[in-house]
Formats: sequence, C-alpha cells, structure tokens
Amino acid sequence: MNYIIADHIISPLAQGTENNLDAVLAGQSALRRYEDRFPMVEPFCASMFVEADFETLCIEAVKGTTQEASLLASPQTLFIVSTTKGNVARLAQTEDIALIDSARRIARSFGNENMPVVVSNACISGVCALIAAQRILETGMYKHAVVVGCDVLSTFIVSGFQSFKALSSDLCAPYDAARKGLNLGEAAACVILTSDAHLAHRSMGSILAGAIHNDANHISGPSRTGEGSYRCLCDVMGDKEALAFVNVHGTATLYNDEMESIAINRAGLQDVPVNALKGYFGHTLGAAGLLETILSLHALHRGVVIGTKGFLQQGTTQAVNIDAKARTTDKKEFIKLLSGFGGCNAAIRVTTKQIPDTPQHPKAVYETLADVVITSNHAVLNGKTISAESRGGALLAEFYRAYAGDYPKFFKMDTLARLGFVASEMLLSSLNEERFVPRSDRAVVLANRSSCLQNDRAYQRTIMPDNYYPSPALFVYTLPNIVTGEIAIRNKYYGESSFYVLDDEHQLEQIIALAFEQSQTQSVLTGWVECTDENTFEAHVRLLKKL
Amino acid sequence: MDNNLLKQQIIEALNLEDITLADIQDDAPLFGEGLGLDSIDALELFVLLDKQYGIKLQNKEEGKQVFKSVNTMAAYIEQHRTK
Repeated sequence: MNYIIADHIISPLAQGTENNLDAVLAGQSALRRYEDRFPMVEPFCASMFVEADFETLCIEAVKGTTQEASLLASPQTLFIVSTTKGNVARLAQTEDIALIDSARRIARSFGNENMPVVVSNACISGVCALIAAQRILETGMYKHAVVVGCDVLSTFIVSGFQSFKALSSDLCAPYDAARKGLNLGEAAACVILTSDAHLAHRSMGSILAGAIHNDANHISGPSRTGEGSYRCLCDVMGDKEALAFVNVHGTATLYNDEMESIAINRAGLQDVPVNALKGYFGHTLGAAGLLETILSLHALHRGVVIGTKGFLQQGTTQAVNIDAKARTTDKKEFIKLLSGFGGCNAAIRVTTKQIPDTPQHPKAVYETLADVVITSNHAVLNGKTISAESRGGALLAEFYRAYAGDYPKFFKMDTLARLGFVASEMLLSSLNEERFVPRSDRAVVLANRSSCLQNDRAYQRTIMPDNYYPSPALFVYTLPNIVTGEIAIRNKYYGESSFYVLDDEHQLEQIIALAFEQSQTQSVLTGWVECTDENTFEAHVRLLKKL
Repeated sequence: MDNNLLKQQIIEALNLEDITLADIQDDAPLFGEGLGLDSIDALELFVLLDKQYGIKLQNKEEGKQVFKSVNTMAAYIEQHRTK
C-alpha cells in the first residue's frame, strides 16, 4: 500500500498547501495579464512568480514538506521529478539543460544518492509520476518516494502555446460556453509517499488506482470520443457512489473540455461533481498533476468540492455536474484526470481514508519477443544485421521506405520520433501478428538521456529576436513523449504511453517491469531512443511479453 | 501571385515529401483527403503567411476561409501582403 505522508505547494498565490487552499476557497486567483514579460511574445494571461528557477523551486517544494532529513537521504527513498521542459529557458545560453542532471542535483541537495527518475509525459507528467511512485512502492523497489513537479515559463514555452493558438488573452473559463483557451502557470508541488506501515498514522490518503491510456488519434488534437480519458476513468472508477468529485484537466480550450465532458458521460460519471482548478493557477504543466491532486486531497479533508473559477454557463455538448461555487461533501474519494500532447491521458483515484496495509507483490516477469538496434550507420534486427546504403538521418528515411513507406507523416517528425517510429516498424514487421487492430493490452514506454534536445534547438531557432516565427510543427516535438504517441497512433494502441528521462539504459531495465502493473498490459514495446543531432542517434527497442 | 511559388512554399513548410507541384490543384481543397493535412499543418500555414508575406491571421476560423485552396490563399495574399 502507499500512504501520502506529506506535501507542499509553492505557487504565485501562496506558499504551502493550506495557504494555497485558503486562497482558493476565498476565490483568489494568481492569473493576470502580462503585456511585455517576454520580448516578442504577444500579451498573455498567466500565473507567474516574480522570478523563477526550476531547480530552486523543486528544492524549496521538497523542503516545504518538512520531512526528516534521514528519510529524504535514505537509500530506500527514490526521487521522481515531473516536468515537461525543466531548464529549457536556459537553452539560449547553454546546452547543459539535461533533465536527469537537474533531477540528480535536486536529489543530491537532500543527500540522496539514488539515481532519480524523470517523468516527461507532457501535461499528464504529474499524475504519471504519482502512478510511477505507486508502482515502485507496491512492488517493493523502494520504501519511500519523493515526487516533485515543476515547470517555469519562458519565451520558449509561451511562444509555443501561442503558435498553437491555444492561449486565451483573457482569464481562462474552464467548461464555460465562452471559453477561448488556456492560461499557463508556474508552480512547484511535492508529494511524499511511503509504503512503511509504521508511518501510516501520518497518512493524508492513498492512491487506490492509476491508469494511463493513449487516444491513438492525433499528437496534438484531443480524441473526439474522449477515448483515452474514457478508458482511464473506467479503469480507476471503482465504486462511483464513493466519489466526491472528478477533478478534471479543464484547460478551458474548446477541444479539451469538450473531450472530457464526452469521456465523463461515456464513463457514466455525469452526476458526480466535477471541478477544474485552472482558473486559480493556470495550467502549471509538469506541476499540474501534483498541485491539483494535493489541493483536491486537502479540500476533501475539509469536506469541500472546490468551485470552478471562471465557469459561468455550461459550454460542452455533454452536460457535467459542475459549479463555480464550492460545495460540501462527506464522501472520501476523488479522481484526478489529465490529458496531454502525444494523445496521452492519465487518471488516479485517491482516498482520504486510512486503509489497511496490503502486502507488496513482486515485479512482473517477462520475455523478449523481438529486438532491434539502430545506429547512425546500421541496424540489427533480431540478431541479423540489416545492410543499408545511407548513413545518419538518411538511413532512417531509407528504413522507413523499406519497412513502412505508407505513412507520409514520417517526414513531419523530428529525428527522435523518426528513430522510435522506424525502430517500432522494423520490430513489429518481424513478428507474426496482425497489425493495426485496436488494442489496449500493449504499452509503449521509451526513454533516453537527452530528452528532445535536437528538436529543442530547432524550435529555439524559430524564436530568435531577429527571426521570430514560432513553429507549431517543431514545438509539438519539444515534448519527448510525442514519439510514444506516434507509435500508438500508427498502431492503434490504446494502452499506456510513457516517456522517462533516465541516466542510462540500465536504469530503464530496472523499472520497465513496472509497466505491467497496469492490469490490462500484456506486452510492452520499450527501449532506449537517444538522439543528439539529426545524424547521430542510437536505438535499442524491444517487445516484451508478460509471463 | 505565382501559384507555383506558393505551392513550393507549402511543400517546404509542411515537409510534404513525395508531393510535387502537379499534385496540388489550384482549386482543390487543401484540407481533407488529398494531401493528408491536419490541424498542425493549418497552424504552420499561419506561420508561412506571417513569415513570407507579413500577414498575421487572427484566429483559426479566419484560417479555415483563407486555406480553402491554393487559389483562395493566393487571392488573400495579393490583397493583404505587407511584404
């Protein structure tokens, strides 16, 4: 079992979880309009600190939990960092922005020597990080998990969302008929979980279930049928009579809120109260899943369903039970739902009740069905060397034509996505299985060290002061998990899609069995996909089957 | 406005590998089945108009009207270009 024993929120609204909750219940919002915060960027509404540094905020959020130094430094404690872009604001000055190095500095500042795990799954990262913690504790890999999430805004991020026409220049209005788009926000949030029953008396609650599903539809547009969110809700729902509310993503874009309302209705949850917190904090990206889970948990301890600030009039085709005002409840469970670029969706169900300890179970055992290695100058498929005439980026195009050839979107992908796509095509074509049949029993879990640095550089070149034309087609690939979405979309995989930033392939090997903790998952397409520039890359991708 | 120049710019901006000028008809719908373009391509056409012609479209609805075909795009550019 897992117990949430401490948490902390730092936002422009307030310092500390209870202070943030007080501010929210008093109807305060940190959102305001910025005219010239970043040069070149058009005016936008956001929730921002006066100054923000990614690593400093993460460290302060962990410190704010006031946990014993011995627990934070323990070899039994793993740090899990949730972020979309970490230190990317510094890219204009330095390329030393590796997320895993940031995570390591954060863990080491508390004397923790274990190699941390970075979850970088676009906007669902925070909930995925909590699911990772749950899996790690319940399989006994570690006894405690420190999950910290943060993103800070910069020209890089704001220009990208503007290029997607996703931002509202007014205050956001989740689920409202007049909603025009989202507002971004900065925050850092930390949750500490333990499996140690001796600490259960300090428990604020527990994660009862978690699920991650891909829409298998599009890398930036939400599914019209709410496919992934619907599947997540069904997986974690449990007894819906016990649910106090569903805390939705509620970004206030036309398509997100519409999609969620469809997923909620398909799952039969239309009568359960729904709320969204973006009107107080904006969309805090890698922090969102943590911040919104923590606030929901503490609100439920006070018997409150927080009101949806900015909402006035139902504005989705499917009605949901939403209210601008706070409501009271005596129920003890809630669902936190998120969705993000790459077609990914995640949900957890959390209880405030003290629940009895359950024994840990061993990690799943699996076999390898097929494997492929691709480097800049050759490939080896199931032990057999594949010859090619091209080298570097052209090699990927040559393999694409040889093994797929019917998917022109390949040429729109960045090198990381092309690498993962080609590796998966080679791997799957070597198997005797029917392809392109919708399935939710296969996960796609990839990892690397440098995230999507090659494409970050390419996007950065489109936002230079003397050449400012932010490219949406490049921006979308500045999220490393897009490659997992591309594979899910191509193959109609509705299962988990996840991306981790790790120190090396060995570390992926240590955690990959955790993907089988999602009960439907019977096979995992997984591997290391590293790409430092468009001609320098290496992939080792395998298909694993649960035994 | 030279339609072929515009088609070339579209092919380059949207990475339309294996598509030639002859594959894009002047009055055929740009979006829909033919070229397999999606919502990100539409946003990338906003960037093309801004970068090449100094035209800033305000919203997606406006884009839908302008991006109906190469002909409608070319006509819009003729009327509104600032460079």
